[in-house]
Amino acid sequence: MTDDVMRFFAAWMLTHETADEGLKAAVERGEAGGAEGMSGGPDAFVDGLAAMVAEEKERLKAELEARARGELPPPDEKRDPVLDEIRFEVGELRGRLDNLESMLESILARLEARP
Amino acid sequence: MSRQSRIALTLAKRWLATLPAARFGLASGPRRRAAFARGTRRAFEELGPAFVKLGQLISVRPDEFSDELVAEMRSMQDAVPPLPYERIAEVVRAEFGRDPDELWDAFEREPVASASVAQVHRARLREAYRPVWGAELAAGTDLAVKIVRPKAAEAIRADVGVARRLAERAVRWGLARRFDPVGLLDEFEASVDRELDLRQEGRFADRFAFDFRDDARIEVPRIVWPRSARRVLTMEYMTGWRLTEIDAAAAEGVDCYGLAVHGATAFMRQVFVYGRYHADLHPANLFVTPRNTIAYLDFGIVGYLTPEERMNITQVMAALVYRDADRALRYSAKLGVDVPAEKVDVIRAGLGALLDGTERPDGTRDFRHFGLGFLRLLGEHGIAIPSGYGLLIKSLATVEGVARALYPQIDIVATAQPFTTRVLAQAMGDPARLAERLPAAVRAALRELVV
Ligand SMILES: Nc1ncnc2c1ncn2[C@@H]1O[C@H](COP(=O)(O)OP(=O)(O)OP(=O)(O)O)[C@@H](O)[C@H]1O
Repeated sequence: MTDDVMRFFAAWMLTHETADEGLKAAVERGEAGGAEGMSGGPDAFVDGLAAMVAEEKERLKAELEARARGELPPPDEKRDPVLDEIRFEVGELRGRLDNLESMLESILARLEARP
Repeated sequence: MSRQSRIALTLAKRWLATLPAARFGLASGPRRRAAFARGTRRAFEELGPAFVKLGQLISVRPDEFSDELVAEMRSMQDAVPPLPYERIAEVVRAEFGRDPDELWDAFEREPVASASVAQVHRARLREAYRPVWGAELAAGTDLAVKIVRPKAAEAIRADVGVARRLAERAVRWGLARRFDPVGLLDEFEASVDRELDLRQEGRFADRFAFDFRDDARIEVPRIVWPRSARRVLTMEYMTGWRLTEIDAAAAEGVDCYGLAVHGATAFMRQVFVYGRYHADLHPANLFVTPRNTIAYLDFGIVGYLTPEERMNITQVMAALVYRDADRALRYSAKLGVDVPAEKVDVIRAGLGALLDGTERPDGTRDFRHFGLGFLRLLGEHGIAIPSGYGLLIKSLATVEGVARALYPQIDIVATAQPFTTRVLAQAMGDPARLAERLPAAVRAALRELVV
């Protein structure tokens, strides 16, 4: 989810690369901002974000170029998070059933042990 | 002798024993408090599980207790003499109706660890098992079987009852000024109840393994559900180095710096992305493995955050990263830190000083100083701290401590930056809403690019 937004910003930045001088300055400040440079409150946050978006932009650019050259695997090769979640819930259910079964077994064992 | 008298006597005995060290009350404040704290800690160790757990709770509430007491409780030893095999086998029989040797192979008679609530025995898996998440466990896999001591639950509940009566009396007599002992006991009872059902712990371990499924550097023991019950948890046996053996790990080529950063980032991910986190991260609950991974153990205490809390906490963390006192105050208020109007200015000033003072001599920032300082600042002004907030700050401080044990120069505030920034970026608006605001031409260009 968060990646989508970063991608979105990155795409926006990519199309505005030459246009927005203010943005470029923000990116520079954000990149420079180490432990000591981040003391400016909300502005520093925007700079920091801009720098991260710029990084994402570079990744996006490389990816688009690679795709244009036909080098990149189709994006749907990634795992589907929804499917994963379902798989996990099925696994969890199975775990609970395993647990329940062993509980029933132990009740049986106790009943059998009774004279 | 009744339990109540024994508790009172044990405390009295230990406190009396500290009198010489405190020069019969004439020593300086810190010295007196340290002696008192030491006596209390010894009495708690002697009084058993309920008090050991209570001590652990005190050790995470620097907002309510003195520095000396918190430090002393943190050093409390939760290692008790192991129970003989026969007593442990009783618990297993009560849960499964069968002997340990019928359930596991090579169940070791001597435990590998023995704490006040549970002890851990080694054994081997009898039949292959497919866990909730992750690869199948082969027959013969090494296991850790955690077993709650017999009567632990009853003993703790009875002691909580006694402690409650004592606490109510203390309140009536006006002995408790700085904190609310009855509230603390409520919190305590709830957390103990959770810890006494090991299945909860197992479920969280599964969930944790799933949350970190894409992260090959985080390991979680897989749970063997057919061999688990309320008082018995069977899981994969983890091996590795403890944080006290970090030199040995480094000598074997483990990348301690990489793991410290990774571990801290993994914790941020739990808090900022999933809203559920391992809240009992002390050095004994973590291994560094020869596979260059971090193995987590003991999911007994878990913190949960609602999406809203998660967002507000991210904002507070961002405030720390970007040193923004106003933001920190605004979002702390949303988390239930209720600063009355007439105190806002003092608190803001104190907070600003803390934000500026978090830097250590080597230039890295110190979260612990900030987090605990903030809690104390609030405490000094009589502002109540929601328990979840305290737990989270303590957990972050612990993560920092653990990461520092791996690599002393790590700056976990810097580690938090990419995370908080990303999560906030997400909050600033979903793509759909932002798209509306962009000129149509840009939108067309974007569609070309993104689709
Ligand atoms: N899966 C495991 N693999 C290897 N060792 C384990 C495992 N689980 C527990 N242990 C060992 O047992 C010790 C105690 O386990 P754990 O922390 O789960 O118990 P506890 O009673 O909740 O203790 P506490 O809450 O006081 O830390 C651990 O420090 C570790 O040495």
